[in-house]
Amino acid sequence: MTRQAFIARLREGLRGLPPQAVTDIVADYDTHFADGAAAGRTEAEVADALGDPGRLARELRAESTLSRWREERSPSSAAAAVFAVLGLGAIDILILLPILMGVGGALFGLAVAVIAVFFAGGVVFAAGPFMDPPGGVSAALLAGIGLMAGAASGGAILSLASIGLINALVWYGRLHYRLLKPALES
Amino acid sequence: MPEAIEIQLKKGALELCVLALLHQQDNYAYEIAARLADAIGMGEGTIYPLMRRLQMDGLVETYLVESPAGPPRKYYKLSEAGRASFISQQAAWGSFSGAVNDILGGAK
Repeated sequence: MTRQAFIARLREGLRGLPPQAVTDIVADYDTHFADGAAAGRTEAEVADALGDPGRLARELRAESTLSRWREERSPSSAAAAVFAVLGLGAIDILILLPILMGVGGALFGLAVAVIAVFFAGGVVFAAGPFMDPPGGVSAALLAGIGLMAGAASGGAILSLASIGLINALVWYGRLHYRLLKPALES
Repeated sequence: MPEAIEIQLKKGALELCVLALLHQQDNYAYEIAARLADAIGMGEGTIYPLMRRLQMDGLVETYLVESPAGPPRKYYKLSEAGRASFISQQAAWGSFSGAVNDILGGAK
């Protein structure tokens, strides 16, 4: 593979990362080719020793999305981190996907339930006092506030659990990915 | 699965080797990759994701040095955290490999 082909495939694999990160990474590998040439190696030899650019791009991309997940806890960075880890091929997706879908579905269901309880609390709080509730007006008001507060804390626990789950997945994936494998086999 | 064990061993050792090289002296990526590729037979390309991770974890820092030919060269050096990490990993490696060697020696 020529230097140009290697860099082109690397760029292809890095698409979607911040332009600054791509520039930095490409500059690293460009320098490597230049240093290799200075040491009297051909472009093909250097490219061979570097390994598969697609695979390198996957790992670089994973590192980059994982650092985004560490800095910013958002649903999109969480999804990016999960997909990046799956992309490393460290975890068998056929085994993991049903589990992931089950757990993800359960979390989503709980989230919907928490939101529903919160709104139900709001309704009890607002409409309850006019419905002649058992225990009087103040009981309805307190019950409404109680439901809303319970839902809010349930939601907080739920998001902590989700963050913990994704962190565990990321940790496991990083521990087990097999980037060195093709380099060792060649 | 002998090759799986070999991969895990090399992967674990790679970070330690990079820290060890940088502990001796500051260096640039091509030199680190060339030395490690010869010594432990890894793909040279893997050095770059590793260097980025070490940098992100705060174990190494970079600085630029003007080079006589071509653009300035990026050198890596250990941070204080990197030095501390190297010393504790070195000790852990020493006691672990010593224990394994004892057992392997006894199995002959």
